[in-house]
Amino acid sequence: MAKKIINFGNQLRHWIMSHPWLKLIALILAILVWFYVKDEINRFNY
Amino acid sequence: MNLTGFMYFWKPATEITILWFVIYHILLFFQGTRARQVMRGIIVLLVAFFLFQKLKLTILEWLLTKLFAISVIAIMIIFHPEIRQGLARLGQRNLFGQPLREEELGQMLLQIVNATDNLCRSKEGALIVIEKDDPLNAYIETGVAIDAKVSSELIETVFTHKSILHDGGLVIQHGRIAAAGCLFPLTDSPELNRIFGTRHRAALGLSEETDAIIIVVSEERQDVSIVYRGRLYKDLSQEDIISRVKEIIRSKKEYGKKNN
Repeated sequence: MAKKIINFGNQLRHWIMSHPWLKLIALILAILVWFYVKDEINRFNY
Repeated sequence: MNLTGFMYFWKPATEITILWFVIYHILLFFQGTRARQVMRGIIVLLVAFFLFQKLKLTILEWLLTKLFAISVIAIMIIFHPEIRQGLARLGQRNLFGQPLREEELGQMLLQIVNATDNLCRSKEGALIVIEKDDPLNAYIETGVAIDAKVSSELIETVFTHKSILHDGGLVIQHGRIAAAGCLFPLTDSPELNRIFGTRHRAALGLSEETDAIIIVVSEERQDVSIVYRGRLYKDLSQEDIISRVKEIIRSKKEYGKKNN
């Protein structure tokens, strides 16, 4: 169990540490795209 | 947060998370490829487009909308190799493939370093490619299928000057020699020193498009290099090659970016 927790912690740390800028840019783009599509849907009243 | 709040936010949160995941993997896919610079340009234009829209700069927004409409075809042409490779990766990714056991890997690497050592001494070049996660089937098809156990004798035979297959690359897939005489894309990177020839250019070209580990024996300098993810680690000893290849195989994709 302890090993599992350590592995999970390592995996989480690795996930956060790898390409942090890429993740941030992707998150910003995802939010922008989501609001853009929402605006478009509202505008054309789909 | 109460239930009403949760019900209101869960849908946008889920949608944004999925979008984030997809966009992140698209960006990650283009990292380390030749399309990276174009991708950066597109991101800047996209952010500018959203800004113009929010600031109600209608003329600039109109211009960018028209530009995007035209550029869809241009993007398809520019990213043609990457799109093809990406779709191939989706279809061919070896999700259930068994990785090589430690002793099998050690034995394979020992055979490879013995071969590279002998090839160095006999002043012959070699280009040996070890498949990692990205399938190399498209490149294997350009060569002659072998499907044999990895042995130093076979590798040396392939790369002797009199062999018909010595000009191309030898591909190792799932711990076996899959093919020899394979052709790889050449890099157009201006950073590569002039002293490196076509063999190194092909190794770098392949490493920019896949996560393969490439071992290059230089005919002129009689040294061995490893190329991985667009990076060249030159003048390596037998021990260096074994430890570095093992390290790369055990690591995740970003090894090339952390080292050197």
